[in-house]
This record gives sequence, C-alpha cells and structure tokens, in this order.
Amino acid sequence: MSMLRKTRVLFATRFAEMAEYRAEVIIWMLSGTISLVMMLVWMAQAASAPGGQINGYDGSEFATYFLSVWLVGQLLVVWVGWELDFMIRQGTLSPKLLRPMDPMWVEYAAHVAERFVRIGPMLVLLAIFAFLSGASFTREWWAYPVTLGLCILGFTVRFLYEYALGLLAFWTESSTAFSEVAWLLYAALGGLFAPLTFYPQWVQNIAVWTPFPYMLGLPAQLLAGKATLAQAGHGALILFGWVVLFWFVRLAIWRLGLKKYGAVGA
Amino acid sequence: MTRYLRLIRIFTGATISAQLEYRANFIGAVLSSLGQVGVALLAIGVLFGQGSDTVGGWTFREALLVTGFFILTEGFIAVFIQPSMSRIADAIRTGSMDFTLLKPVDAQFSVSTRYLNVLRVPDILIGLGLIVYAASALTTTLGGVLIAAVLYASALTIVYCIWLALSTTAFWFVKTQNVAELFNGIFGAGRFPVTAFPLPVRFALTFIVPIALITTVPAQAMTGRLSPALAMASPLVAAGLFAVTRLFWLRAVGSYTSASS
Repeated sequence: MSMLRKTRVLFATRFAEMAEYRAEVIIWMLSGTISLVMMLVWMAQAASAPGGQINGYDGSEFATYFLSVWLVGQLLVVWVGWELDFMIRQGTLSPKLLRPMDPMWVEYAAHVAERFVRIGPMLVLLAIFAFLSGASFTREWWAYPVTLGLCILGFTVRFLYEYALGLLAFWTESSTAFSEVAWLLYAALGGLFAPLTFYPQWVQNIAVWTPFPYMLGLPAQLLAGKATLAQAGHGALILFGWVVLFWFVRLAIWRLGLKKYGAVGA
Repeated sequence: MTRYLRLIRIFTGATISAQLEYRANFIGAVLSSLGQVGVALLAIGVLFGQGSDTVGGWTFREALLVTGFFILTEGFIAVFIQPSMSRIADAIRTGSMDFTLLKPVDAQFSVSTRYLNVLRVPDILIGLGLIVYAASALTTTLGGVLIAAVLYASALTIVYCIWLALSTTAFWFVKTQNVAELFNGIFGAGRFPVTAFPLPVRFALTFIVPIALITTVPAQAMTGRLSPALAMASPLVAAGLFAVTRLFWLRAVGSYTSASS
C-alpha cells in the first residue's frame, strides 16, 4: 500500500514539474528532426528512382517508416545522463541519498511523466506531418498495443544504460561524451537513417547483437505494417534480456560509485 | 584594433589552460568526434548504397564535400561559437553581464570571443580532411577554391549571426539553451546537398533558414557549378544579417536592467 502511495506521489510531483516545462518540451521535440530530414531525402530519392521506389519502398512508405521512427524516438527520449553528471559534479546528489529510496526512481518517474506532457502536441504534429507527406500507418489494431509494449521495454533499456553511463561521472569528467557516443550508436544501429535492411550486411550482423534495432526500428516497422507479431515477440524477449543485464550493470556501478563518492567526503 | 587582437590572445590562453586541467575530457571528446564522423559517413553511405549514382544530381564524392563542410561547420560552432554564446544567458541570470558591459571594450566582442572549446578541434580537422579527400577526386580550379573560401567565410558569418541573435533573446527570456537545440535540429539538414530535398523544402532551406548557403553553396563553388546569383547572395545575406544582429544586440543591451531590478 505504501509502495502504491509512494509511486502516486512521485508521479504526481514529477508530472507537475514537467508540465511547467511544457514550452521546452515542445522545443526538445522539434529538435529531434534528424529522422524527418532523412524522410525528406529518401522521399526525394524514391521520386527520382526508376519505378518510383528503392528497395521496395515508395515515397509514402518512406514517409510512414520515418514518421514512425520519429514517433518512437520521441517516446524513447532520455536525458538522465546529463542530470546525473550535473548532480554528481555539483553535489546536489547528496541530499537525495538521505531519502529512503534509490534516486533512480525519481528520475524514472520524471521521464515517464514527461511522456504524458509530450504526447498531446506530438500526436498533433504527427497528424500534420502524415497529412503533408502521405504516410499511412497500419490498420491492424494489435500493432498499436504491441508497439507501445516494445516502446516501454526499449525506453527502460535506454534509461538503464544512460543511467549507468551517467554514473561514470563519479570517476571521469567526460561522462556526457560517453552518453553522446551511446546516442550515435543508437541512431546508427537503431535505423534512424534508413530501415536496417538498407545497411551493408556486416553492419546488420553487428546490429542484431545490440538492443538498438529492437528499440527503434522494430516498433517503427510495426506501425508501418512491415513487421509481424512473431518478430515483435522475438524483439521483446531480447529487449527484456537487455533490461535484466543493464539493471545489474547499473546497480554494480551505483554501488561502486557511492563508495567512491563517500570516500571523497561528500 | 591591436587591443582587440591582444584581448583575443589573452582570452584564448585563459580558456585553453582552464580546459587542459580536465585531461580525461579529451578522451571523451575524441570518442564523440570520431562517432560523429562515423555516423555522418554512414548516413551518406547508406543513401548511396542503394544502387543510385547520384543524390539530387550530386555524385558520392560531391556529396561527401557537402558532408565535409557540414562537419567543419559543426566543429566551428562547437569550438568558437557555442562555448561563448551559451554563457550569455548565464551571465544575464547571475548578473555578471554587468561587468562585461562596464568594460571599455565592445560588449558584443567580449561575449563572442571569451570562451573556446579546444577539445572539439578534432572536428575541424576531420571536416577539413574530408573536404580535401572529397576534392582530390574532383576537378577543382584554384579560382573555384578561392571563391569557395570566400563563400564559406560568409557562411560562418551567417552561422555566427544566427547564434548571436538566438542567444541575445536571453535578455528578455533568460532561458535560451533550448533555442540552440532547435538550431542544431534544423542545421542537421545541412549534411546533404540542398537539391536532395523535395522542392518546397529546398526553397525553405535556401530562403527562410539559409542552411543551403552554409554547406551546399561553398561545395558548389568548389565543383564549379555555382550560379552567379547564389554566389552573390551568400555575402549579401551575411552582411545583411550581421547588420541586423548588431542592431538587435545594441537594442537588447539598451533594454538591459541588470539581474537585481
């Protein structure tokens, strides 16, 4: 019961905080434009290709894929690495350690609450972009809850590894640079620049061993009606495995980091 | 004039020695520079890997030239522009802008040159390297390279003006770091030749947000395909923007009433 109450209070306060930042939330959303840039380039490229398509994608299919990537990418946004870097360097982490709760949950709640602030303007923008670009999403109803499930798993994976990278601020000043590198891997292998099947075979072979294609490309393909339920199930299992792995990695780094933090007298 | 040059030297020395204290940062910065160029090459490689020889009428090497200018510009922003500009909002919020305004030096000059981020110099080198590599397989003339250099100088002026204008809004809005994010988002379109975009977008990228002038136009000058009209447009837009931002800055400073009032 007390657990339930804690969760509710945590979520309500983070939601109020995020609602105050609503203007920023919209700007953050608009700055995630790289998939929209890629969409425009691929659409123009398909329009000038013989037969009007490339690798079986015509203009409207490119639009559907990249708008789906944009939507999923919006749901997976994580900034906890920067937050931790700041908290550790400025020492504002210290009072948070006195609470009878791992500070991770506060950050997790803030990220989840932000999604609820984001979703309204996001769907409006999505409708406008879809209308302008001629995208058409799948009509299979099951694809939507399954996509949402994959997004929740994908978000949790990303949150956990970004958290672990952010904790490196206990030892090094360049933890935000590591977060940047992680973003680059996520962008490249997740399918932000093109559907993964467009990549050279050797890149695809590497990508399947990482969580990235299942976080971003797979849910986007589901929305575009180009992935099956079986593929979604396979992806969900892999993502779940990464959640478990990163959970323990995060925990280990947290424990080691706290020892180091305490040792320097904070 | 010599006083301003001496000030630049002092500012540069101070900011470099402050940064070299954090040696571990260097590893992170190099990692992210390499990652950035890897991703840029992947994006363009995948685009050309689908059997088509040209994108928007540009061959692979020509498009690589645009990517080179894109990385060079990102490096320029990261080293010279962003470090100083992102501190304007802080200075206004904490009131330290007062000291800058009281000094007998032009305030726009001080806020624009005060800080550097030397850790991102590799980005500039990578960008230059990519331009040289791409150009080595193309037929370029000395004249073309010189025109490209002049046009790229205008491009950097345009970038500086946009950043300064966005940062100057801090005099009224206080928080502006997000505006920088917005610029980066739109600037991402500069990694491809502007002709790779559908027509209405191409128009917007040339005339509304002049991204095309920053990366595509210098590359066109190098490959000798630049129309005289565009060649003229770039310096004119740069000069116009510079004058407008200067006025905007002076107005902002005029309306500044310090942090406490």
